[in-house]
Formats: sequence, structure tokens, C-alpha cells
Amino acid sequence: MIGRVVILKLVLLAVILISLQAGSVSLELSELWTGLSAQQQLVLWELRLPRVLMAALVGAGLAVAGVALQALFRNPLAEPGLIGVSSSAALGAVLVIVLGGTLWGQVSAWQMSLAAFVLAMAMTVFLYLIATRRGKTDVALMLLAGVAINAIAGALTGLLITVSSDTELRSVVFWMMGSLANIAWQEVGIIAVVMVLSLIGLWRLIKPLNAFLLGEQACLHMGYAVQSLKWWIMGLSALMVAVAVALVGVIGFVGLVVPHMVRLWVGPDHKMVIPLSALGGAILLVLADLLARSLMHPAELPIGLLMALLGGPFFLMMLLKRRGLNA
Amino acid sequence: MSDLSISFKNLSFQIEQACLLTEVTGAFAAGQIHAIVGQNGAGKSTLLRCLTKEWPATSGEILFNQRNLNSLNFAELALDRAVLSQHQEVAFAFSVEQLVNLGFEAQQTSWSEATKQALLNKVLDATDIQHLKKRDVLTLSGGEQKRAQLARVLAQIWPVDFESEQAFSGKWLFLDEWSEALDLKHQVHIGCLFRQLADKGLGVVMVSHDLNQVMQLTDTCTLLKAGRVLAQGVTQSVMTSENLTKALDISVQVVFEAQSHQAVVVLKPLKPLNSIKSTV
Repeated sequence: MIGRVVILKLVLLAVILISLQAGSVSLELSELWTGLSAQQQLVLWELRLPRVLMAALVGAGLAVAGVALQALFRNPLAEPGLIGVSSSAALGAVLVIVLGGTLWGQVSAWQMSLAAFVLAMAMTVFLYLIATRRGKTDVALMLLAGVAINAIAGALTGLLITVSSDTELRSVVFWMMGSLANIAWQEVGIIAVVMVLSLIGLWRLIKPLNAFLLGEQACLHMGYAVQSLKWWIMGLSALMVAVAVALVGVIGFVGLVVPHMVRLWVGPDHKMVIPLSALGGAILLVLADLLARSLMHPAELPIGLLMALLGGPFFLMMLLKRRGLNA
Repeated sequence: MSDLSISFKNLSFQIEQACLLTEVTGAFAAGQIHAIVGQNGAGKSTLLRCLTKEWPATSGEILFNQRNLNSLNFAELALDRAVLSQHQEVAFAFSVEQLVNLGFEAQQTSWSEATKQALLNKVLDATDIQHLKKRDVLTLSGGEQKRAQLARVLAQIWPVDFESEQAFSGKWLFLDEWSEALDLKHQVHIGCLFRQLADKGLGVVMVSHDLNQVMQLTDTCTLLKAGRVLAQGVTQSVMTSENLTKALDISVQVVFEAQSHQAVVVLKPLKPLNSIKSTV
């Protein structure tokens, strides 16, 4: 079983190495030994490496947040973007850019992350309360509530943008493009800390997470603290989504596609699903970023757009498969 | 009562003004099979839920192996008792083997791989699902799923030294209509399994609608009607024609079947329910 984790680790390493070499400034890794020019060093250490690591960490975070939310709702369609967690986080981030700009002048990534987390968490709790009754989730209600939340958060974000000043507008638009360009090491540090803490948190919950898939009652009778488990799932998934959104904007479908493929591969046991989804999400986003940078070179596709192009049809396919099951 | 028992005194349960249980008192001894019988809405499942702490009783006292149920948390309880609810849920495609292993995991002990396999095989054999081991639970029939869930629940309390004489001493199994989806062969097979485990000290508490199963399988019976105890005690003395007719609101007769030497519950000639009669 551990073999699969090793395989994905090697794949991740390979795509990271490939991605580091792609771009307008030619840079062969073999040149590391023969010595890089000053320009190449700058490109590698200040542009490409933070960008690639950011893509990997965000991908891992979004995929694992998907796994956690799917366990909470006991449904593979619960994806942070679809059910409105991402757009709530985005609203929080824009709120800080616009209001914070007026209040404090300069806003930091920390402030944006915190505001994104508060709104993402509130929305997750709200969604859970309306979509789940007596431990059972109404899937249609969950998805429709997600549609509503997306609409409201989107409208409020738009409203904030119309009242923002020119400088604020520039940073909002810049941020909303969902771009991995111009990533600073400080931001990589933030998400790395959040990811490590969240993964440790979820790793400790593997047994109760598995039991939770059998229903709340069964989980309770198997001796696990169901209430605190639910709070942990909501908190950790909101945290991972919020920080990812605050730092690089909304990127959808990672949390849908990756856990689904992983479960088809190894089954639903979280002991395998969590590490493999983290690795799979990292691989997917590093690859997507590579594509986004190279498809229309020298122009760059927004990565959120690319993921929607890939993920949308995948989501439709999952829906059609469910229709087949119900028929 | 000995140390190992579940006893409850003046147990009441209210929800939104409705009294689902009123002043219910009784005791279940370890190493026996106990039935809870009654009409729909008589309070059977409510009593089971109170006894398993799923629902907190509004008033009254429950002692679990001589300890106050309120003083035990679910983690402690899970080591000594397992619960099979009426409806089970499987949201993702677990294999039968994985499902049963979730039960073992709940024991919170680490065994060697060999011990784990031996325990798993024992439980799979006991519930006759060895041949389904690798199958996806979602693709199983209703009865097969029920057996797989039963195996998962048994795994939670299955002792490592299951061969020894009182291996299941102090352990409890709560079942809500376990036999509903099972075919006759497996009803009998699983019933015999419960008896074997009870002989090793396991206490079984089951809610059942199958009167003949209760008659043949259980040691004691608690007959509920409208949230109150109508009769309780040794099954044969509780399950009389009069008691059952009163509890179930339909005429039934307990007859002695000479060939098998068994008491059997039969229906008296069927009459439509009053309400239907009056509207026809």
C-alpha cells in the first residue's frame, strides 16, 4: 500500500523538476552543476521555485479540503468551490483589500487569510446546518445552497469592487485573476505552515473519519466524539481553502477531481485517501500551472480558468454516473 | 443482579411534549438474550436508544455493568458494547473486509497482522460472508449488507481470546430488527451464533417484530405498550396469548407444536382493522 504513496511522490518530484525548467528564460537543471548565470539564479530562486511550490501546496490543500468536506457531508460532490466555501473565502479576502485599504493602508497576506478563514468557516457551518438534518445530508439541498451562497458572495464581492478606489480596484482585480505569478517566499511559508498543521490534524482523525462514513450514529457507537470531529473537519477544511483562496484566488474542482480519482484507485479508506489526495492535488496543480504558462506562451492563462475547463466536464460526468446509478 | 447486567429504573423519555417512555423499569442479565417487543410506536427503539446513551433519558437511572451510564463516555462504552441500528448507511464503496476492519479499529488496540487476520476470518465465517470479503458493500443485496454490518458490529466487541469459556463476559450487543432483511437460513444461523456467544457471556438486547424468533431464541422478553411495560420476565411466561393480544392489538394465539416441542405464535383468523371496516 505504501508503494502508491512512493509512486506519487516520485511523480510529483518529476513534474516539479519539469515545471522548474519551463519558461522564457532557458534553464536546464543540469546547468545547476555547471553553474547558473546571475539571471538564471534569480529566475529559479525568486520566480519559479516559489511559484511551483505554491502550486503544489495549494493543490494539496484544496484536494484534502475536498476529502474532508466529502466525509462531513458523506457525499463525493461536496467540493469547496461548488458548495460556496471558496467564494465565501474570496469575499472575506476582498473585504480586507477594500475596507482594510481604507483603514490601514497596506494589507498583508495574513490579514487576507484570516478574513477568508472567518467567512469560509461561517459558511461551512451554515451550510452544514441547513443541508444536514439528524445526521443525514440532503444532497440536492447542499448543492442548491451552494449555488445560492456562490451567488450572494459573488454579488457582495462585485458590490465591494464597485465602491473601491482605483488602487484597491487594481489589487482586487490582480488578486481575482487567481494567479500564481509573483509569489513571494513569505506566502509560500504561510501556506506551508497551514498545510502541515492541517494535515497533522486530519491524520490524527483518520479512524473517526472512516467511521463517520458509516453515519453519525454508527460513529458515535464506535466510540468516537462525533461533535468535536465535525468541528475539526469544518475548521481544518475551511482553513485550507481560505488560505489557498487568499493567496492565489479561487481555483475550483481540484477538491472534486482528485479525491474521486483516488477513491476509484484505492477505495474510501482515509489512511490512503488523505496522503494520496494531497500528492495528487499537488501534481494536478503543478501540471495545470505548467499548462497555463506554456499553452499560450508568452501570454498566461489564469489557472482558475484552466481548472474550470478541466473540472467542469468532470463534474458533469460524475452527475451523469449518479443518474445511471439511480435509474 | 450480578455485576454484569444492565438495569434501568423509572426510565422516562419525552420529546416535544410526547411521552415515548413512561417509568420503565427492568434489568437484563449478562449471558442471556433479551427481547423488546411491542407495536409500532410502543417505545422499543426509544428504550434501546436510551440504554445505549444515544438519547439521554429525561428521567430515571441506567446502570451499565453496575456503573451509571451517564458517567461513561462513548469511548469507554464502545469497548464493551456494540450497537446495530435499524438502518445502516454506507456512503462510499468500502469492501466488506474494510467495513469489518472498521469495527476492529474501534477496539483501539494494535494487534499483529496474523492476529488481525485470524480475528477477521473468524468474524467473517461466523456471519457467513467470507466469500464476499473483497466485494464492494454497495453492490451487496440487503441481507448480505445486513450481515456485513453485523460482522462490523461484532468485530467491535470480539475478544482476542474468543475460544476461552467466558470470552465475551461483560460485553453487550444491542440490535434493532437485525433479522428483517435476512433469509430464513441466515436468520437461524445468526440466531444460533447469538446463542453461542451468549453462552460465552455476551448479553444480547434485541428489538424484534418476529414473535416466533423471540419465542425460540430469547431468554427474557419485555413487552411494551404505549411507552409502558405491559409484562416482563422469562419469555415463555410473558409471551402468552392474552399478553400478546393486549400488547399488539390483534388476536394471536400461542399454541404448542407437538412435533417440534415448541410454542408457536399464530394469528387468529384475520379481520380487517376497525378503521378500515368502518370506512368500507
